[in-house]
Amino acid sequence: MHEMSIAVGLMDQVLEIAKVNGLKEIDEIEVETGFLRQVIPEVMQEAFLAVRRETIAQNATLKIVEIAPLSECNICKKQFEPQLNDFLCPECQKADVKVLKGDEIILKSIQGKESK
Amino acid sequence: MKVTVAKRILKDNDMIADKNREIFRDAGLLAVNFISSPGSGKTTLLEKTIAELLPEQKTTVVVGDLQTTRDADRLVPNALDVAQINTGMSCHLYANQVADSLLGLNISEADYVFIENVGNMVCPGEFDLGENVKVVLLSIPEGDDKVAKYPTIFRAADLVLLTKVDLLGILDFDLERVTNDIKKLNSNLEILHISSVKGQGMNEWVSWLKAKRQQNVGAKAKFITE
Ligand SMILES: Nc1nc2c(ncn2[C@@H]2O[C@H](COP(=O)(O)OP(=O)(O)OP(=O)(O)O)[C@@H](O)[C@H]2O)c(=O)[nH]1
Ligand SMILES: [Mg+2]
Ligand SMILES: [Zn+2]
Repeated sequence: MHEMSIAVGLMDQVLEIAKVNGLKEIDEIEVETGFLRQVIPEVMQEAFLAVRRETIAQNATLKIVEIAPLSECNICKKQFEPQLNDFLCPECQKADVKVLKGDEIILKSIQGKESK
Repeated sequence: MKVTVAKRILKDNDMIADKNREIFRDAGLLAVNFISSPGSGKTTLLEKTIAELLPEQKTTVVVGDLQTTRDADRLVPNALDVAQINTGMSCHLYANQVADSLLGLNISEADYVFIENVGNMVCPGEFDLGENVKVVLLSIPEGDDKVAKYPTIFRAADLVLLTKVDLLGILDFDLERVTNDIKKLNSNLEILHISSVKGQGMNEWVSWLKAKRQQNVGAKAKFITE
């Protein structure tokens, strides 16, 4: 359900960057979604269709690459893959972690045509 | 042409949030973002808490509401002042909405800013407002499966308030399930039991707030001039 909020934020950023770089039309947008952010690709694509309307990205495609999660135990420094509902360190049995990967949504690149 | 960006989405929001955080720090106050499902008791708790903090400590409030001013009206009597943000179609607050509200608020006299987010357990978690702490409320009538259903917001929380605990004996609610689910997300996360109607847990909650404020503003705390 938060895909729409994310798509709106994404599009603001994309249009800003396109302007700075003199793009007149956007063909492809690539994002990396961390697993822990629970972005459902199909829902995100739907939201994207709504926000690209009547912009220079109206014909653009959205490429979504999901990033697997990785966390590090603050107590014993062991690195492990957490589950959405389970951040327990396999060694310490405590959930006291730093998330190294999978907690961010990153705009990787924008591909498009330059003005003239 | 391909433009490589590699920037976090919502970076714009986060930059404004960082500015808000500076404003809070300079004003020597603690900013609290209250997040929960609709109707879990945020406004009721805010009313009681603000009254409880008086007269020594004063609170300014920012309330996000889809349409009405009902919540803001309820908070006016004891708050230093109240800013209402009508979020319209949006199911969460943005940092820039908070920034705009701050311009009209008397934050230099305040010890706390309480931000009541829009009732929603998902989207508010995506948008940093510049708060110092996130307090997530879970009310007994919502059921004991909510931590498992919305783990992300509980993982982001600095404190969980289990609200409406006066209904614990009346409704079927497995406390241990909630405690265990939270332990698996963040073993250090504190859970306080609160009833705004019966007053249970108010002392601990107010002490938690005061301690957090002390810890955050510390040396920057306001001096009372004689
Ligand atoms: N039994 C019981 N009811 C409560 C308690 N706190 C609040 N309520 C009731 O719960 C209902 C919702 O309370 P609010 O404080 O308006 O909840 P809210 O989270 O601000 O609601 P929204 O802003 O609409 O999301 C009201 O009918 C309150 O009287 C409590 O401690 N115990
Ligand atoms: Mg309310
Ligand atoms: Zn460990």
